Amino acid sequence: MALIRHFVLLKLRILGNGMRPRGTAGSKRLVMFIVGVVLGLWMATAGFAVLAIGSSSDDADVRIAVVGLTGALVTAGWLLLPLLFFGVDETIDPARFALLPIPRRILTTGMVVAACVGIPAVATLIATLGLVVGGAVRGGTPAALFAVPAAILSLLLCVLGSRAVTSAFASMLRSRRMRDLAIILIVVVSGSLGPGQLAIASLVEQNGLGPLTTAGRVLGWTPLAAAHAAVLEAGEGRWPLAMARLAIVVVALALLAWWWSVTLEQAMLGTSTTGPRDRKVSGSGGAVDALIPAVLRGLPAGGLIAIVARDLRYFWRDPRWRASFASLGIVSLFLPFMLVVMTDEGRAAAPLPAVTLFIGVIIGISLANIFGSDGLAFATHLLVGVPGRMELRARIVSLALVVVPLLTLVTIMVGLLRPAAASVPAALGTAAAGFGTAAALSVTAAVLMPYPMPQAGNPFAVSSGGALLRSLLVLVGMVSAIGMTGPVIAAYVLLPETLIWLLLPIGGGWGVFAVLIGTYIAGDALDRRGPEVLTSITPRL
Amino acid sequence: MSRRYGDRVTGHAREPAVLLRGLTKRFDEKIAVAGIDLDVPSGSFFGLLGPNGAGKTTTLSMTVGLLRPDAGTAHVLGRNVWADPVAAKRLLGALPDSGRMFDRLTGSELLAYIGLLRGMARDVIDLRAAELLDVLGLGDAGHKMVIDYSAGMKKKIGLACALLHSPRLVVLDEPFEGVDPVSAALIRDILQRYVAGGGTVIFSSHVMELVEKLCDHIAILAAGEIRAAGPIETVRGGRVLEDVFVEVVGGRTATGAELSWL
Repeated sequence: MALIRHFVLLKLRILGNGMRPRGTAGSKRLVMFIVGVVLGLWMATAGFAVLAIGSSSDDADVRIAVVGLTGALVTAGWLLLPLLFFGVDETIDPARFALLPIPRRILTTGMVVAACVGIPAVATLIATLGLVVGGAVRGGTPAALFAVPAAILSLLLCVLGSRAVTSAFASMLRSRRMRDLAIILIVVVSGSLGPGQLAIASLVEQNGLGPLTTAGRVLGWTPLAAAHAAVLEAGEGRWPLAMARLAIVVVALALLAWWWSVTLEQAMLGTSTTGPRDRKVSGSGGAVDALIPAVLRGLPAGGLIAIVARDLRYFWRDPRWRASFASLGIVSLFLPFMLVVMTDEGRAAAPLPAVTLFIGVIIGISLANIFGSDGLAFATHLLVGVPGRMELRARIVSLALVVVPLLTLVTIMVGLLRPAAASVPAALGTAAAGFGTAAALSVTAAVLMPYPMPQAGNPFAVSSGGALLRSLLVLVGMVSAIGMTGPVIAAYVLLPETLIWLLLPIGGGWGVFAVLIGTYIAGDALDRRGPEVLTSITPRL
Repeated sequence: MSRRYGDRVTGHAREPAVLLRGLTKRFDEKIAVAGIDLDVPSGSFFGLLGPNGAGKTTTLSMTVGLLRPDAGTAHVLGRNVWADPVAAKRLLGALPDSGRMFDRLTGSELLAYIGLLRGMARDVIDLRAAELLDVLGLGDAGHKMVIDYSAGMKKKIGLACALLHSPRLVVLDEPFEGVDPVSAALIRDILQRYVAGGGTVIFSSHVMELVEKLCDHIAILAAGEIRAAGPIETVRGGRVLEDVFVEVVGGRTATGAELSWL
């Protein structure tokens, strides 16, 4: 037990040291921490209120619907969100204990307890303790007391479950770029919140609480919400059922704990297999021909072409870039189909040009931390003295070379599938405008606010706090990019149907103009700030 | 354009290849480099010695334009690195850390990349890249990605990148670290030939034997300060370099009383 206390102390010390003002980085972290605390408190309070009110309702259907769904939502959030974009808290990395003679049981327990020290865990516990109120109102003191261990068990399930899920997926998704995809998913989800609310409302209107109650009942028998539902049973004095539900949680916990301690051993041994090591790359002829892919070979070789060629090679060779390429592909393939083709009663959810504008913005935003994702290799550019404008333009050109053919194809296909062929040129124009504006904004952000990416290892590991804040910044960037395409949007709205094709030159011109202006300004800044960019992308140890 | 690379300017050979004045860098509270003055004569084989954490890498990073100094100036062959970085960087070559290369390119691709970024003509690049790979014994590995190279091979390809545009000065941070004796001998050989041809080499190390064998000038750096500098004979004063180093740095030798339980 004494050893376990040390794990908690270690975690607290690391959290504290992270905030010790060390120059500007320290105060930035402090701000991020405070933002995190405020967000956590807000969510804790909201969760507490929902669970407290829901679990003390007189209506059994309302109780199970609210508590079951909320509990399942929280647990599912713990399981899925780290996968998407928060990353796992790797502050206490099991690999660091590999050399110390600590029994596995103590190590496992210590890691779990340490993982419970943190804003999300505390917020979840507070929220779940809302069940105490319901227990007290419905079943008096015994039920209220019963709610406390239930809340702790459900928190443990969340913590262990999130570890288990991320470890399981870590080897499969060798890419933290998945989090980029996640941001997009979040946008899509939040975009569909409105329609979703309407759908749920109409569902409730037609069938009453029925479907929600059924969902709550079902979830209440799964580990996701069994602990929460157990408190409801206790509140009604049905103790055997309460115990049965709690048993579900305990069994799930036991399984996870066993699994966790097995994987912990592997984690301590470091990354196991990395696949075949000897990657030969075919190529013949001179060095320059080896570098520059066939598509670019006709052009006069120079710095810009070299960077574009290197970028294109990296799209295939670097797993991170490959994953980003895959996620961009998914976005440009599925989003138009989802938003345009799948419609209700023949009415498109959104017009094609609006959708392609949005996709262009999403793709452009992916450049927002190019230097961070290059890692320290950026030092090479700095040593050579690559002109900033050339560097930034090359990066945009290479991304465009990859996505433009894809996007064009998809747009034409969608245009033909929904009879909307007339809007295809306009859609291509708005896509170019969106991409150009977002790319210009992104490279500016990449120069002004670069941040380090973890070099290797767990692709979900985040190097420092503030992932949430960065995701918010990306959203802000996307909104501003859309705002900055205002003139193109205005043209789309104002132009008569017959002249809508004019958007192709207008949008294309707008995109090129934005890129030129953006790289002009940001390129200058890069020339001045090169060493500072390198410093900020260097991970602090 | 044609004089941008490959030209050995011999006119002002007497001006120092590197001239540091009052170079200072602090990281938060820690002073990494505390106002260094250093002259590296043109055509010298210069060793920058110091224990771990002495500020060698920090000093060299500020010399090549990777890390902005808090105060002081750095001149490379008469060009101010921080006022006119483009001109300075054209004249020098540096060995990047292996993590600081685009290591998912093959050796020859990486050389072509650096060459194109430096604005060299492609036939010159092809010729020199092939020759460098051949001399460094990387010919067979030219089509293997740098990330799959061994430590010694990574150092060698880094050296090739630094030498590709035939700079008059190469700055090498720990060029022999983690390198096997065969590769080390090869690197040594190439550097000696380069200096014989009029180039200047400055490199950091804490391997005394190597420095003693190679360098004609040295500087000993400790705790961010230059403790001794000059021609190696002067600094050594007839003693073994290692003894001078330990004395200058202020290390201690075991008396035998401590660690008696071992």
